[in-house]
Parts: sequence; structure tokens; C-alpha cells
Amino acid sequence: MSQSLSPECTPLKKVYDSCFNSWFEGYLEPAIAASTKPEQRTEYAKRKAEEFQANCGKVWEQYKACVQGAVKEKGLDQLLEQAREENPLMEPTPPSK
Amino acid sequence: MHFFSQAFTYEHPWHHVVIGMWHKYPNSKCTHVVSIDTLDRTVDPKTGIIRTERLMGCKQKAPAWIVKFFGGSEDAFVREISFVDPSTQNVQITSVNLSLSQFATCYEQIHYSPNPHNPLQQTDFTQTAEVQARLAIWRSAANGLEKWLVQRFEQNAQLGKSGFTEILRQLWEERAQVPLQQGGSESS
Repeated sequence: MSQSLSPECTPLKKVYDSCFNSWFEGYLEPAIAASTKPEQRTEYAKRKAEEFQANCGKVWEQYKACVQGAVKEKGLDQLLEQAREENPLMEPTPPSK
Repeated sequence: MHFFSQAFTYEHPWHHVVIGMWHKYPNSKCTHVVSIDTLDRTVDPKTGIIRTERLMGCKQKAPAWIVKFFGGSEDAFVREISFVDPSTQNVQITSVNLSLSQFATCYEQIHYSPNPHNPLQQTDFTQTAEVQARLAIWRSAANGLEKWLVQRFEQNAQLGKSGFTEILRQLWEERAQVPLQQGGSESS
């Protein structure tokens, strides 16, 4: 598994990544199957979003706090803010080319 | 502006590729990627779309002239936003450089979708990148530099003029007084 930008965050990152990966691997195939019916898809998405929060929410908060500190320390926070302003990318863009 | 693009078909079903996506690094062919951090992640409870914002740290030796000219370092950071949409079986990944972004941007887009002819076994990959130097910013920086230089020049010219005026006045006032003083001492 890859490292965090700050060594002190790497242990939390590893716990979080493992948590996400195991949730995601359980999520993906049924999500594809559930997407044929809109109401089934929404029911599944809602349930799994809650499950993700319940499983990984706690370590995520700790990891996020650590990374945010590291980002500031490396002086990347302003570059990030600028990049977010320029390209918010809050929704997928339809394939252009 | 410079463009790059490539396309490829992986011999794996879409969901295998997408699960694998989160395990891509570290890998022996891409040792330049040294760190990956998740900055934000949401699972949309309506659509099931997962949006992830990540920060990748890269070490890539830049040519000496680039480091000298732009003051860059070995560490470069990239912001990556990905959307995984299980309902349309589409993954879209957009990456933009943070480092040196004041000079140029590299905007990369990647898509993974099931191959239309063999959707259960093959996954199409497309990648495009646009590299663009920020000419507008260059121009405004150059313009700002010129303005500052002219202002400094004007200020210095003013100071030079008033400084020399002062020197001339002192010099000739002193010289005008010396003969008077000498004359005065003779008379006493």
C-alpha cells in the first residue's frame, strides 16, 4: 500500500484505505445489479452509504485531520483551494472527446 | 497547448478494473508516485456515485533548466478527482497539477467503461491530457514587472535629482562662505 505524504499519517491512511477497499469490493457488483431499477438503486445506495459511514467514518475523521495538517505544513493548502476554485469537479462531466 | 491521448483495452471485466484502480500504487513501473492521500470522499445516497478527491505526491527529476527557471523541486503534487458510477458503469478520473500550476497546467482525463463488444470481459481505457502554459499570467506578470521597474526608475530619478540639488547647494554655499571667513580673519 502506498504511503501518506506525511509519515505520521501513514498508519491511519492504511487503516482507512483497507476499510474503504473492503467496503467498496462488497459494494460494487450488487450496485451494478441494482441499477436496472431506479428505486432499487436508490434503496441500495442509501443503505450502503450509511454502512460506509458506520464502518469507516471514525477512522476517516482521524485520517482527514492528520492529512489536513500535513497539507498545511507543506504549504499545499492554498494551491488546493485555488485548484478547487478553478475546477470544482463536483459532478462527472459528460464524455467530451 | 499540447495534447496527448491513448486508448487501450484491458482483458478484465469493468468491476475488476475499478476495484484494481485503488490498488494501482505502489507499482514497480511507476516509482515516481511516492504518496497518495484521500482528501475527500462521498457516496451519493441517491445515485450511488462515489466521488473521491486525492492528492498524489510525485518525485520526478525535472530537467535542470526547468528547475533553474521555475524554481521547482523534485516533489510535485497532483489533485485527482474520480467518479465511480456503478449504474452506467463509468469511471471518470480528472487530474490537474498543483506544483508549477502558476506557470502551466496539465489537465488529464481518464475513462474506464465496459468494451461495447465484450462488456463482461473487457474494459476500455482512454486517457487524454492537455498541457497549457499560462500565457495570460505570464503576460500580466511581465506587465507587472515592467510597471514596477518603471516606478522604481521614476522614484530613483526623483531622488537622484533632489539629492544632487542638495549637494550642489551645499557645495557652493560652503565655497561662497570660505572666502568670506578668510577675509574676516584677515581683517581682525
